[in-house]
Amino acid sequence: MPFLDIIVFPGLLFLLFLAFFCEWLDRKAVAKLQNRVGPKHTGPEGILQPFADFIKLLSNEDIIPAAVDRIMFSLGPILILTLSLMPLFLIPIAGSSALVWFEGDLIFIMFVMTLRIIITFLSAWSSTNRFSMIGGMRVILQMLAFEIPLTIAMTGPAISARSLSLSKIVQFQASEHLLLLAQPLGFVIVTICLLAELRMVPFDIPKAKTEIVKGWFVEFSGKKLALLRLTEDFELVLAASLMVSLYLGGPIGPWQTQSVLYFFTKLVICILILSNLRALFARFRIDQALKGAWKYLTPLALIQVILVELMPMVIP
Amino acid sequence: MSGFIFSVSLIFLLSLVFSASLYLIGSFIAPKSKNTSDKLAPYACGENLPAKKFQVNAERFFIYITYFIIFDISAFILTTSFGHGFYPIVFCIIILLAIVTLLPLWRREE
Repeated sequence: MPFLDIIVFPGLLFLLFLAFFCEWLDRKAVAKLQNRVGPKHTGPEGILQPFADFIKLLSNEDIIPAAVDRIMFSLGPILILTLSLMPLFLIPIAGSSALVWFEGDLIFIMFVMTLRIIITFLSAWSSTNRFSMIGGMRVILQMLAFEIPLTIAMTGPAISARSLSLSKIVQFQASEHLLLLAQPLGFVIVTICLLAELRMVPFDIPKAKTEIVKGWFVEFSGKKLALLRLTEDFELVLAASLMVSLYLGGPIGPWQTQSVLYFFTKLVICILILSNLRALFARFRIDQALKGAWKYLTPLALIQVILVELMPMVIP
Repeated sequence: MSGFIFSVSLIFLLSLVFSASLYLIGSFIAPKSKNTSDKLAPYACGENLPAKKFQVNAERFFIYITYFIIFDISAFILTTSFGHGFYPIVFCIIILLAIVTLLPLWRREE
């Protein structure tokens, strides 16, 4: 595990580039679908716009309201950014094994995602504002509900590959077949759940701008808001790369070749799927979203797991 | 095993140092805020609402979290269940029946 790898190429700087690129791609795609122009002036086709936004927010005045719980309010954005950046090192990007991998890192990623939800709620609660509080409650209701079908559907690839490691799942897809072909239902469920975990438009209930003015983001400003925006970009990269490495084979190309370019192409396709869904739907109510998660997505995910288990018995 | 603990704590520390240094850079380049009482008031869309800690409805929240933990643990059991023949399928069917029967009952009690 050379140090330069962690800092530069499949590591920190590359992930930062991916995060800003994915935000640009998402904004541009949604703007094109809604017949707008989108980011245009900063750099070619506005590709530097997310970076410019980040620098601008970082250099803004940081207001800490008098009523907030100062320690948690300041620590919250740092911890959330840490927890959304950390699982990205476990994703196989450049080769068929990730920078850091061990048997069971899929469970580790899910654990980190759950921990992030709890810290989100704590920082919403610490900002002592009614909008933040409602937003924080909605975050914890929605994201914990969608965590369950997500976790159950993610066990499908793990059972097929007989391993709980993302790198092993990618290597299984290199030697056998893409898991998208075997488990299309699981791919659909994971896509919907990741859309909810990202709090993108059909599920943007926790930060609904027209109801509760950005929800739990309300009191954050300046550098804290910059860190939270960067967190959202990293979450987008994490969601798309989970889809890529669980179902589309990660950096594996045709004829057993491996390249970061294949990973990048598949990542772009996944981001386009997510932003297409984001432009297509209108916001659900919180009870509709929860009902959908518990009543439909969880049983469907279980049926997918049963099918995965039955498959080798029926077709030897 | 020790290698795994070392590498995971290394990436955790790296991410922590990265985000903390971004925070520090922000506090260096941002202008000092001139605090007025209006600026430090909680945001309330221009209405005059005082800051107040809101209580979470702990009873219903507790039921929800219990549901979450039960299903999360069952998902965890499923992930570690490969290679045991029919048992995971039976387990899946039990969870499926639990969802189908328990959720309407929970709704009726309210």
